[in-house]
Amino acid sequence: MPITLVEAALLTFVLGCALGAALLEDTLAAVMAFAAYSLGVSVLWLVLQAPDVGLTEAAVGAGIMTVLFLLALSNTVSPDADRLFEPIRWRTVALVGGFVLLIGATVPALPAIGDPNSPVVAGEVSQYYLANAYAETEVRNAVTAVLAAYRGFDTLGEGVVVFSAVVVTLSVLRREVVA
Amino acid sequence: MTLDLLTTHYNYYAVALLLGIGLYTVIESPNLVKKVIGMNVFQTGIFLFFITLAFRNGGNPPVITEGAGPYVSPLPHVLILTAIVVGVSLTAVALALVVRVYSEYGTLDEDTLEQLYHD
Repeated sequence: MPITLVEAALLTFVLGCALGAALLEDTLAAVMAFAAYSLGVSVLWLVLQAPDVGLTEAAVGAGIMTVLFLLALSNTVSPDADRLFEPIRWRTVALVGGFVLLIGATVPALPAIGDPNSPVVAGEVSQYYLANAYAETEVRNAVTAVLAAYRGFDTLGEGVVVFSAVVVTLSVLRREVVA
Repeated sequence: MTLDLLTTHYNYYAVALLLGIGLYTVIESPNLVKKVIGMNVFQTGIFLFFITLAFRNGGNPPVITEGAGPYVSPLPHVLILTAIVVGVSLTAVALALVVRVYSEYGTLDEDTLEQLYHD
């Protein structure tokens, strides 16, 4: 699919916010740029027909994540920023530029965006889920059917990860009180 | 030729740029909180790669209804839903460590921390 104006505007917004988050010296400003970035990305998921991912990204990425960052900021003190942007270190830019070029060089090997014959879309697994998800699980949303039924063990693993994260967070933040 | 690729593969180039921006922040930012932000930007770049691969022209969201096809592929969406939640858990742990580092050393600046560590 050739690029549309909406997508071009969204991608520009998202990349601009990411650059802002990377270069703004003030930590609070960087967190705000990151929140705007998450919101832009969640709209991008809607444009790419992934409403489930968009909702999760808006609630979790732009919502919970921002709250976590603000909590971390309110428990720490960063020195006042005396300039708007951090100075750009060109040696790192060259290194990262090489990495980007390396990744970019693989792009022509990928199928065009929206190609109906691309291996992911036309692949056996995707087509099986779309053809049988409703008959086998009686859930109309194929994403829910795959998440909770076909790949239920993956989701259980996800639950284990979240549980361990809570345990680790609590044990890291607990102060040892030596009486 | 190059312009042609840009109009048909634009999201993949955005992926490369997002990975670059995230990597730069992780390497270069002296502030630990901003390193966590960079990690998240890197992560979202990979999400964009997956969701773009799932897209097909004229595809509808994968909610099965009579005569609504064709649908985009649901499988990458599921993987990325899981990855988003894992990403938040990772961020929570990283920020908890950042807060702990601050309460031990009183700074979040990487260079100052390194000096304190060597002293």
